[in-house]
Amino acid sequence: MQTEATLAQVDVSELDLVKQCQAGNTEAFDQLVTRYRTRVFAMIYNMVHNEQDAWDLSQDSFVKAWKSIGRFRGRSSFYTWIYRIVMNVTIDWLRKKQVKGAGAEFNDAIQLKEIEPASRTLPKADPLPHERMERSEIRTRIDNAIAQLSPEHRAVILMKEIEEMQYHEIAEALGCSIGTVMSRLFYARKKLQNLLKDVYENI
Amino acid sequence: MKTFEEKWTAWIDGELGGKELAEFEASLPNKAAAEAEKHDAYKLGALLKEQLGARALSNEDFFSHQLRERIARESGPFREPSLEASAWWTVRRLFFTGVASLVLFVICAVVVIREKNPGEQSQYLTQILNARIDPAVSPNATISMFETKEDKVTVLWVEGLQSLPADYAAK
Repeated sequence: MQTEATLAQVDVSELDLVKQCQAGNTEAFDQLVTRYRTRVFAMIYNMVHNEQDAWDLSQDSFVKAWKSIGRFRGRSSFYTWIYRIVMNVTIDWLRKKQVKGAGAEFNDAIQLKEIEPASRTLPKADPLPHERMERSEIRTRIDNAIAQLSPEHRAVILMKEIEEMQYHEIAEALGCSIGTVMSRLFYARKKLQNLLKDVYENI
Repeated sequence: MKTFEEKWTAWIDGELGGKELAEFEASLPNKAAAEAEKHDAYKLGALLKEQLGARALSNEDFFSHQLRERIARESGPFREPSLEASAWWTVRRLFFTGVASLVLFVICAVVVIREKNPGEQSQYLTQILNARIDPAVSPNATISMFETKEDKVTVLWVEGLQSLPADYAAK
């Protein structure tokens, strides 16, 4: 019950923030950005595999959200609504990039900052050099495998496995049916299982 | 009616229940292989979560700062309307200048045309009467009638008439 009450408070305050945004309050929008910027960036990064592109696309998504927040009616959560914008922006960008035939996707020269989920509560020693290298190789394998999926399949698998979104939320974010989401999830999993079987079997 | 792919996905994610679950599991040709694949799907999910779930946005404050700047630049509450208004005024001025020029041109054209044809708008109305003059008697004779409508005066102008025929009579 405690959790439900807290969640309800969060929801109400989020709706309040949205209403303030609709009245033109940029500070309220800033609070929403602070809430979602990391998740939005991570989601886009996992789709495009380049920090600079992910940064720019995150900015584009939030600007688009600000410009169209007047049309948000609260039928879905703000989170789902902004994910729809994020997905539209990112998938459009990926399609254009595919059409242009731009070079390799994995050209990110910037080392990503990595935060372990438990790092805030548990002291953890830095990984040893060989562990770090192994982790980097695993990540490269995963990035390469995800890059072989279509933008729509990438979006579905990431929203399901990383964001733990429900089918209907994914469907809403992508503007497709639940059946399409499940079907895409089926093929995305199959492909990744084939490409990464040796990776997850050896961990 | 769900497709096999939809049922399989729902089964992997634990979304199948009751009769639907029993029917699906009964339809699997090799239950052990399916269970192994389900286990693989869990491992894949865990791997993705572990490796991709911790991507962080560096320079979060700068991200927000840049976004604020961009929003103010692209859709600020005051700047954009004023720019829009100034652009609109320029277009309107151009439009009015065009219309004024056109009106001035028409007025000038009318004045010039009037000056070139002053007789057309004379206060006198000239009418050539349907006069029947014998060409043998008066070959160059013309008869004109000038009428001032305001003063109700009519002047009959006869020219070149050498002799007035006897049958002519004023009516």
